[in-house]
Amino acid sequence: MLTIVTLIGLPLIFIILFYVPLPPVNGEVLTPYLFFSMMVDPSRTIPIIKFLIHTDLFRVAVFPGFSYAALLAAVTIYVERKFLAKMQLRIGPLYAGKIEGILQLIADGLKLISKEIIIPSGADKPIFWATPVAFVATSAAVAALIPVAPGWVVANVNVGLIAVFAFLGFFPLFALLFSWASNSKYPFIGGLRALHQMIAFEIPFILSALPVVILSGSLNLSGIATSQHPYWFIFFLPISAFVFYISSLAELERIPFDLPEAESEIVAGWLTETSGMIFGLLQLGTYVKLYALAALFVILFLGGWSGPQIFPTEILPGYTGEKIYNAVTVNAAFWFTIKTLGMIMLLLLPRGINPRIRIDILLHTGWYKLIVLSFINIFVALGLIYGGILGPGGLVTG
Amino acid sequence: MPDFQQKVDETMKMGLEIVKESDEDRFMTLSVGPQHPGSGHFRFTIKLDGDYIVFCDPDPGYVHRGEEKMSEYRNFIQNIPHLERPVIHDSTNITYSYSLAVEELCSIEVPRRGQFIRAIASELNRQVYTLYWLAIYGIFLGHSTMFMWPTGDRELFIDLLEALTGARVTHAFNIPGGVRNDMPEGFKDRCLRQVAYFEKRLKEYEDIFYNNPLFRQRTEEVGILTKDDAISLGVAGSVLRASGVPLDIRKAEPYDVYNEIDFKVQYMKSGDSFARSMVPFLDMRESCHIIRQLLDKIPQAGEVRAKLQPNPKGPPGESYKRVESGRGALGYYIISDGTPRPYRVKISVGSFRNMLALPFLLVGSKLADMPSIYWSLNYWPVEADR
Amino acid sequence: MTSAGGFIKAIESGSKHLLIKRFTLRYPEEKLKFVGDGYQFDPKKGVGIAGSRGRHILFHDKCTGCQLCAIACEGIAEAIGMVKVEEQWKHNKKAIMPQIDYGKCVFCALCVDACPFYALYMTNDYELSSFTKEHLIYTPAQLAVKPKYDGTMELRIGKRGADHG
Repeated sequence: MLTIVTLIGLPLIFIILFYVPLPPVNGEVLTPYLFFSMMVDPSRTIPIIKFLIHTDLFRVAVFPGFSYAALLAAVTIYVERKFLAKMQLRIGPLYAGKIEGILQLIADGLKLISKEIIIPSGADKPIFWATPVAFVATSAAVAALIPVAPGWVVANVNVGLIAVFAFLGFFPLFALLFSWASNSKYPFIGGLRALHQMIAFEIPFILSALPVVILSGSLNLSGIATSQHPYWFIFFLPISAFVFYISSLAELERIPFDLPEAESEIVAGWLTETSGMIFGLLQLGTYVKLYALAALFVILFLGGWSGPQIFPTEILPGYTGEKIYNAVTVNAAFWFTIKTLGMIMLLLLPRGINPRIRIDILLHTGWYKLIVLSFINIFVALGLIYGGILGPGGLVTG
Repeated sequence: MPDFQQKVDETMKMGLEIVKESDEDRFMTLSVGPQHPGSGHFRFTIKLDGDYIVFCDPDPGYVHRGEEKMSEYRNFIQNIPHLERPVIHDSTNITYSYSLAVEELCSIEVPRRGQFIRAIASELNRQVYTLYWLAIYGIFLGHSTMFMWPTGDRELFIDLLEALTGARVTHAFNIPGGVRNDMPEGFKDRCLRQVAYFEKRLKEYEDIFYNNPLFRQRTEEVGILTKDDAISLGVAGSVLRASGVPLDIRKAEPYDVYNEIDFKVQYMKSGDSFARSMVPFLDMRESCHIIRQLLDKIPQAGEVRAKLQPNPKGPPGESYKRVESGRGALGYYIISDGTPRPYRVKISVGSFRNMLALPFLLVGSKLADMPSIYWSLNYWPVEADR
Repeated sequence: MTSAGGFIKAIESGSKHLLIKRFTLRYPEEKLKFVGDGYQFDPKKGVGIAGSRGRHILFHDKCTGCQLCAIACEGIAEAIGMVKVEEQWKHNKKAIMPQIDYGKCVFCALCVDACPFYALYMTNDYELSSFTKEHLIYTPAQLAVKPKYDGTMELRIGKRGADHG
């Protein structure tokens, strides 16, 4: 063990430190040896930590990026199982971990890793292996566009909202590719159903986000979040919020819209031939997409990260050196997380209440009713802008 | 009925013609087999044209165990444990009918308290079976809450049956001559309390499942079986009552003490899947009233079992008796030749008749209606195969 | 809109259940209580006494080796076989007693109904699993042991729903 650490670990750290640009400290260039000796001196380590927090790598891997999204996805899976169990008068996971089954996800992950991946004969192997990876990559791309606090976003794209919809348009393609590559009858039916469902609900999805753009005047997600200054958009656009909610349930294939994986009719739909870690990757992608769409709802309609400032401006009063703690950022991240978790619970609720819907009722709802409903709010939003109530120079602006 | 025969002929001809066409090209053959989460231990093959089913061929026999032949090698009392296995969670009703038939053969008189206890056990078992059926119906439609709640509430009745008979599901309680043991003390209060709690739970089922607009959209106007077709096909039980025929064996040919109990036969007129799923629910409500009346009228003390010789036998003859079980009329036809073993036992079950309606209703419906039609026909594969 | 009303009622019903107690019995930390001592049969009256049907208990001071329990079981599960025992009893001249194979027994208790000497009863004990099939065959000495069963939970119906303790 010690040999592995000294022969591989330490050189690895040194190589990384040679390539990561480090700031100069007290006028001298920071070499890796000086870096290690700085660990014990707070006045010298804080600038380094602050610098590391503001690099791109931290943003992608830790804070609003992969670790945060994966952590929320993991918490979502556990909360879903416990919440549904309480509604159904039973206990969910109980034995994995000392307190009420809290390590259940790790146990599930280990189980999935240790299973054999069975590929049906006649299946198209390159597509079969590549599609789950592409699925997770696209979900992560959607989650990468979501701003969590002012200035904290992995990719600050000026047309952020359209980029989100462009990424969401890939998912029916993955479902169809995977079901075709499985070379089996039940995935074939499931893939076609997934295609019908996701394409039918993309139009109400985009149309219900349109009034938000009209009212806020920009497509940048951070700009939309900051422009909801006096009142959140959900008070002006309730019908759009409702249409967005239903469309995101359909996009995520959650009950009542889980036809592509309808268990009692077509065994498991387009996921029938998955086994082992491929199934694990698909579930990870699904739950990261759940986090991304819930966060998108929060940004578009619930004001993003706005909320009363409850964190004090200084932790140690009278400290004049460099500071890592930024009260505005922590407050914004806290309120964003609370609102996203609340929205995730609302997305989990229909699973305990509704049965599955049928495909012709689904298509009827998606193409007729929801498009009509979303047009109503477009006219309301246009009326509010031209009537001078919202927008620049209006009656209600902050 | 020439009109109905013509319809059957046309359907069968259409099916055979479709099979004759090159079915690799246009129609997809799906085997909804035993390894399917939506079929139980039963296999049927369907051919799909897009989303519509054009041909259905049920294939029973997966769990055939030869119950009728095995009965010829055991005497009348030893037959009870294996004859209750075809429908293990409705076991009291399938042995009730057997006991009635053997009592008629051997001229055994059952004491009055025994008859009441038999009827109470039969009603409790009917609730157990219907709750299990409702749970599976919920999960077939994707409603996991409707799977968990009836399975939990079933524990109320299984608890009562365990106190009464000694085992949770494999009761072996009815024997020719009465029941095997008397009610334990405190049973009546416990039963009344749990039945009262269960009636409150039925309101919750209505709220979340039967009045849910999504459930109604999926089952109303789906798989309509008209009254004439139902009578011609010979379906039984709740399927028949959902098509407008108010036939309940407990009212039409009362056995034991059912002619002293006042209850209404529940039936609905529409004949679609919704009616077929609603009639067992209404039956459960009615069963609660029946249990209360039975507990009220039961004689306070008395024998529960007629004294018999260890190997009862009767004069050569035959007898036929029917009982209303959870799925329909369950009848036994027993021929005896004077020895302690029966010569022939024929069991006629409601499930096998309801299976005949399956290809008739599935042809022309969508694939998504397949679970809701199949399970609403109240078909239990093990009983149909015996 | 009636469908909106239906959905709202469904959501209300589902959320109400977040306040009802969970129904699960946490076995094996809590076990169910049984009333009484197990299924017994009174040959004089010809009727059984209600009780739970678990493992058998054989009273060696009453069993005469008449084989009626084995004959009763022959048509059902063939789980009872008679074996020679070393004990010497006055009422058991042939010195044979039943041994029960729990891999075959279906717990129907018709053997208890068949015994005319008050020697074979059933008890509340249902935890009979073992690692090999041979260990499931209980000899007459093993069957004479009275089991220790201490379940205390029972189904309670309270204001916030029914639960198992």
